[in-house]
Amino acid sequence: MNTAAQLFFDAASLGGIYAMAALGIALIFGVMNLVNFAHGQYIAFCVFALIVPSTDAVAVMFLGRAPAFLLIPLLLAVGAAAAVASEYAVFRHLRKATPVAMMISSFALGFVIQNALLATYGGRPKAISLWPELNTPVTVMGASVPLLQLIVILATLTVVAGLALLLKKTRIGLEMRAAAENFTMARLLGVRANVVITGAFALSGALAAAVALIMATQTGVADVRMGGQIMLVAFIATVIGGLGSLPGAVAAGFLIGAVSVLLQAYLPLDARPFRDAFLYTLVIVSLLVRPQGLFVPSSAKPRV
Amino acid sequence: MPGKHMQNRLLAHSTPLILALILLAFVAGVALTGDRALARMAAETLVRVTLVVGLWIFVGNSGVISFGHAGYMAIGAYCSAWLTLKPQAKALFLPDLPVWLANAEWHVFPAAIASGFLAAFVALISGAAILRLSGIAASIATFAFLAIVYTVYSNWEGVTGATSSVVGLTRYVGPWVALAWAVAAIVAANLYANSASGLALRATREDEVAARASGIDQYRHRLLSLVISGFFTGVAGALFGHSLGVLNPDSFYLGITFIALAMLVVGGIGSLSGAVTGVLVLSLLIEALVRLEQGITIGEAALALPSGAQEILIGIVMILVLILRPAGLTGGAEFRLRARTPRLSFDQEQTTTN
Amino acid sequence: MSRLGVFDVSVRYGKVPALTDVTLHIGEGERIFISGPNGAGKSSLLKAISGAVPTAHGRIELDGDLLTGRPPEAVARLGLSMVPEGREIFGRLTVEENLRVGTGIRRDADAVEGDIAEIYRAFPILAERRHASAGALSGGQQQMLAIGRALMTNPKLMMVDEPSLGLAPKIVDQVYDTLVALQEERGLTLLIVEQSSVRAGRVGGRMILLRGGQVVGEGDAAAFADKDALTEAYFGKTGKEAAE
Repeated sequence: MNTAAQLFFDAASLGGIYAMAALGIALIFGVMNLVNFAHGQYIAFCVFALIVPSTDAVAVMFLGRAPAFLLIPLLLAVGAAAAVASEYAVFRHLRKATPVAMMISSFALGFVIQNALLATYGGRPKAISLWPELNTPVTVMGASVPLLQLIVILATLTVVAGLALLLKKTRIGLEMRAAAENFTMARLLGVRANVVITGAFALSGALAAAVALIMATQTGVADVRMGGQIMLVAFIATVIGGLGSLPGAVAAGFLIGAVSVLLQAYLPLDARPFRDAFLYTLVIVSLLVRPQGLFVPSSAKPRV
Repeated sequence: MPGKHMQNRLLAHSTPLILALILLAFVAGVALTGDRALARMAAETLVRVTLVVGLWIFVGNSGVISFGHAGYMAIGAYCSAWLTLKPQAKALFLPDLPVWLANAEWHVFPAAIASGFLAAFVALISGAAILRLSGIAASIATFAFLAIVYTVYSNWEGVTGATSSVVGLTRYVGPWVALAWAVAAIVAANLYANSASGLALRATREDEVAARASGIDQYRHRLLSLVISGFFTGVAGALFGHSLGVLNPDSFYLGITFIALAMLVVGGIGSLSGAVTGVLVLSLLIEALVRLEQGITIGEAALALPSGAQEILIGIVMILVLILRPAGLTGGAEFRLRARTPRLSFDQEQTTTN
Repeated sequence: MSRLGVFDVSVRYGKVPALTDVTLHIGEGERIFISGPNGAGKSSLLKAISGAVPTAHGRIELDGDLLTGRPPEAVARLGLSMVPEGREIFGRLTVEENLRVGTGIRRDADAVEGDIAEIYRAFPILAERRHASAGALSGGQQQMLAIGRALMTNPKLMMVDEPSLGLAPKIVDQVYDTLVALQEERGLTLLIVEQSSVRAGRVGGRMILLRGGQVVGEGDAAAFADKDALTEAYFGKTGKEAAE
């Protein structure tokens, strides 16, 4: 067994999940300076959309029963719809509010979604079985790797490339990039604020759904708390990537995945339960060293 | 007019008096009913006043949202448990405590103060790092701090009992004790807010760049306010433990962070009166919702809200306040006496938007 | 009918009035200079027309279409384009992407490529650097880009806010030469905020003077440039500095 290759696949697949979650957050921040704490709950929402609403201990598949070619677009649409709905219900009314007020309201919204899930599905984690065959290991470069890890890595690359193409080559992508840089000027040139913001939320929600699919397959659990942890890591990735920078968010997501896998592998056994504490400490240290983010030129002004 | 200026400064100190009287009336009212459930609710509410006022000392003055205060609360709560629990209990549940702590058997009052100091010390260390960041990056770093404390306290088996609850804390905090601490927090918060440091810090709240240009050492004032804030938040943690009798790391994570921020936002981040108002209003709402969750019978029909309804409703209230009244219920104003017209009023001079 | 009509427009920031009952008309193909000292309300007027700030009172029409109460993106769709103060180009986009941002509102999508070629003909330096990021351009080049970007929406009326700000006099000459040439070629209607009445007089056109949020004078720009006394009467002491 090749340890280095094993670690690489672990790091790349974990980092891929973080990168996708961070992208979802960075997109929204870039367009409207909103630190969206509800993002983790979009992920949880999408996981629970896979099963039939009920507080019973045993999960019955709902959307999750659909074949993959239907399920994937369907769940991406559910995620997009959830995010767009939240914009319509909450953030649209806060366009003129301060970033701090928007941030707190997204925190509140996340709590509302989480507790709505709690009320509908009950608080206990439920076992779900989505594409269990993907967890069978295959041998790559001397390492035994679950098929899913390879799929995650591929999916991340596809998503990142697709998003880059969308932003670079399409009309809405151009408008989003222009709006992210200078919203007022973009509007003076006829770029419709609502279209751009709705588009950003839809993309962000679809990214959350992609993360949800991967997490559901990988962990085999639906838990109302699952959004919180990933969201925190994703936030940290967007901050150390440079708030609002999409390439930065992706790079930082992978970096955090790698550091986290390395800590897990090399921390002394007694210290391993504290892995996340070490991780977050490293994050604070990295912010102190480069407050504007690791992946932006140090000449760039911090945006917040 | 120095006379008038002097008078204004004195009147600024009428705010804690009014707030203390409101809380006193609340406790006295509850005590008169003799209802034990209500007395418990009053104690919980006043512990929250200490917590939220503690949080306000930092957030209200600096304008930086902190998601990390539940961490200081946890530090205070566990510190008090270490100091006050019976040595036999500690030998059994927390075997890895150092000898002097394992044998300590303090009274709750000095233990609460020591808890406050420990939390303040951690605030100093963590703040020294986090507060070098600006605005939203600092907020996210406070979140990372909370996650660090939570991870450590949920895994430090021999010292915190990890995820299993620490039980057997003296249930010493009733409404009157909680009232005394809440008033102390309010007085300290008001003193700080009207001190040179507090005034300078609030001047920086609106515009970080301009403040830095004007030579205000924002970092030092922020750090000072965080240390004071950490002290009272730590005390609130200790009081929390001694009012419930049980500690668990989950009590000091996202749930309490959310509730405390909701109270601050609903009341109005901009003022001390806002912090206290938010606690009272939302505590009453929570109490009503808790009763509804337990179920009430109206005639034949039994009604019960599903669990989680409480948080959903509070979240919605919070969002509505942010949309409709972004400066909170008090609009950022303080309750205080006005010159010559000695009546309760909103003093618009103090009005600020957050 | 005039191209742009501003009727009794007032703008307030909180309780502070920035414009009070301003009325003015611009005919098709006309070139208008708005001048006046700092705080006269020039920028507020442009912002009110473009929909960036709400009007407290009054009505603004472009070719008979009501602009007041519409958001900036809707105003842009009705044919108004803006070259803002400080240029506000999108520094992280390429030069060509900057030109394309505003083309989303055009109904004649087929004409876009031809127009881009035309902009490149007018500003060869932009063609040369079409794939460079716009933030790397010099100030003068950025001004050209901002003008080109505004033209790409195919506007009925183009507003230019302080085009000479922060540029060397020689570059300013170039900017004005281009603006005049473009106007003659395309029959464009131009509204230009220019603090220097000397400059405005040299370029030529009609001049409207603002002071304290009100229109205090109107006439041929050349006349204002020559008559120092008149300028001083309108501007007071600061006017002399402003005029140069």
